[in-house]
Amino acid sequence: MRAAKLAVLLGALVLAPLFVSDHFILSILIAALMFGVFGAIYDLMVGYCGLTNFGYAGFIAAGSYASALGASFMGVNPWVGLLVGGILCMALGFFTGLIALRVKGLYLGLLTWFVGETIRLTIANSTEITRGMLGLTVMPFPDLLGIDFSRANLHAYYYALLVIGTAIVLACWWLVNSNAGRAFKAIRDDELAAESLGLSATKYKLINFSIASFFTGIVGAFYAHYIGILSPSPTEFGVSRTIEVLTVTYLGGRGTLFGPIFSGFLIVGFQEALRGIGAWRLILFGALLISVMLFFPRGLATLKKWLW
Amino acid sequence: MDFSLLLDPSILLELLAQGLVRGSMYALMAVGLSLIFGILNVVNFAHGELFMIGAYVMYFVVASLGFPILAGIAAAAVVLFVVGMLIERVLIDPLRRRSGRGWLLDAFVLTIGLTVVFQNLATELVGSRRQGLVEMIPGSLDIMGISLSYDRLVILAATLVVGAGVWLFVRYTPLGKAIRATGQDAEAARALGISVRQIYMITFGIGASLAGISGALLITIFPAYPTVGMLPAMKSFAVVVLGGLGNLPGAIVGGFLLGIIEAFAVFFLAAGWQHVLTAALVVLVLVIRPQGLFAVQGARP
Repeated sequence: MRAAKLAVLLGALVLAPLFVSDHFILSILIAALMFGVFGAIYDLMVGYCGLTNFGYAGFIAAGSYASALGASFMGVNPWVGLLVGGILCMALGFFTGLIALRVKGLYLGLLTWFVGETIRLTIANSTEITRGMLGLTVMPFPDLLGIDFSRANLHAYYYALLVIGTAIVLACWWLVNSNAGRAFKAIRDDELAAESLGLSATKYKLINFSIASFFTGIVGAFYAHYIGILSPSPTEFGVSRTIEVLTVTYLGGRGTLFGPIFSGFLIVGFQEALRGIGAWRLILFGALLISVMLFFPRGLATLKKWLW
Repeated sequence: MDFSLLLDPSILLELLAQGLVRGSMYALMAVGLSLIFGILNVVNFAHGELFMIGAYVMYFVVASLGFPILAGIAAAAVVLFVVGMLIERVLIDPLRRRSGRGWLLDAFVLTIGLTVVFQNLATELVGSRRQGLVEMIPGSLDIMGISLSYDRLVILAATLVVGAGVWLFVRYTPLGKAIRATGQDAEAARALGISVRQIYMITFGIGASLAGISGALLITIFPAYPTVGMLPAMKSFAVVVLGGLGNLPGAIVGGFLLGIIEAFAVFFLAAGWQHVLTAALVVLVLVIRPQGLFAVQGARP
């Protein structure tokens, strides 16, 4: 049953863009898919291991800039850059975890928030390399396997992201159902009890945080070459972006992994559909997060038994 | 970077003065955040937006309606007191009473949502134009070769008055004592007949009111616009972490400390890097001394 549902979900994601030729709608589909994947990665941390990363956007920035700067200064092929972004972000996540994972809950949230801001502000101020707020122009992906990856061909970008995203989400799924995943959940539910069973909480948290950062870096690098211009503003790589990803995860339901994929499409879709009402759509967005916290702490998963 | 400049006493004095003025601003911003955390354990991410509302109230009362400055500050205090109490009773209190594991994190995320609502509500209702006052009291004081505008001195004085006022209030008044008792041990306070729910609501109101007062007082530096609260919020969090989460005197000292550090950083580093330094400093303190720089022995982490 589970596999059948997954096949339906994947089928819908594969088929959706075939009916779309409009550039704008395609870019919305890409944004929705990207938020869905970010949300799923975020869920790996917060939903399965209780790790609250409020500096998430800073980690996305690290992946994005690693690949973008690698491509423009060292001629790194952007496809290799995906890996460069992933590995740099993983190193960053590993070291952050090493110092940060001793503190818990709110303290971890505050700490990661300022780690994220440190990353973003460092990028913003290193103007000789990153051009700071002026924005860094990033080359598109080169053609691969004879497929045209110029930015006019958004279908190619959508399917490339779908392949990457599917691989990441399936890897997350495998991970949370492995022994390590059981350890994550044990630590999330009761760290003391888990440790008394001989699980090293720090070790598993570090594994979780590093892997999530690795995936974040890959998608971040993809984002850089897709979007074509990066600037370290608060809306792009600061608190606002973290809030968006966090909302996707919380609305999708923490600890569901696939919930964020749905909520990514829901949130991005509604935000675009409601563009006509101006700032009200963001007011609704904030109110949505508040009402999830107040009334539906399990997010869309509350509806799951009726709908899916 | 030329550290030999530090040997010049006039430069040193100038930087210290700038740091004190800057620090008084940070301390003023952070007091409310610190109070709310200290008593309710809730980290209020929307702190900057309460600051923003305070700035708008100040602008409308003083610039649009033509009332004196003090009336603007009082209005900001009252409006935010009510807003704060409403936030606590309508949004935070239900979460607390559901009281699942990790509800404090849920409350934090909820206030994140509140941030988004307030910022965009302001955009929708008053637009994103910057609306500020040029100066509250014209002129400046020249002393020992340093020039400090009266506005900055007012802020410095206000910080000391507000800091001392809050401290005296929680220390000596019956309500203040009830607030402290609730913060120390809510169950014991309840057993002594204190209405803990009401204390939480009032405390959140006072904290919000302090945020509003700081927004009103700092309007010459931070004109009112929808996202004006983001920088003050970040600095407030930095101050509160430096001073120790929930440690009121620590927040005041932490504010001045951060101000002085930044004044020196602005002087010696390229513009903008002082923000990096602040963020990195906060990370460092959270890692090495999560209880804050000024916590007494045995204080909670």
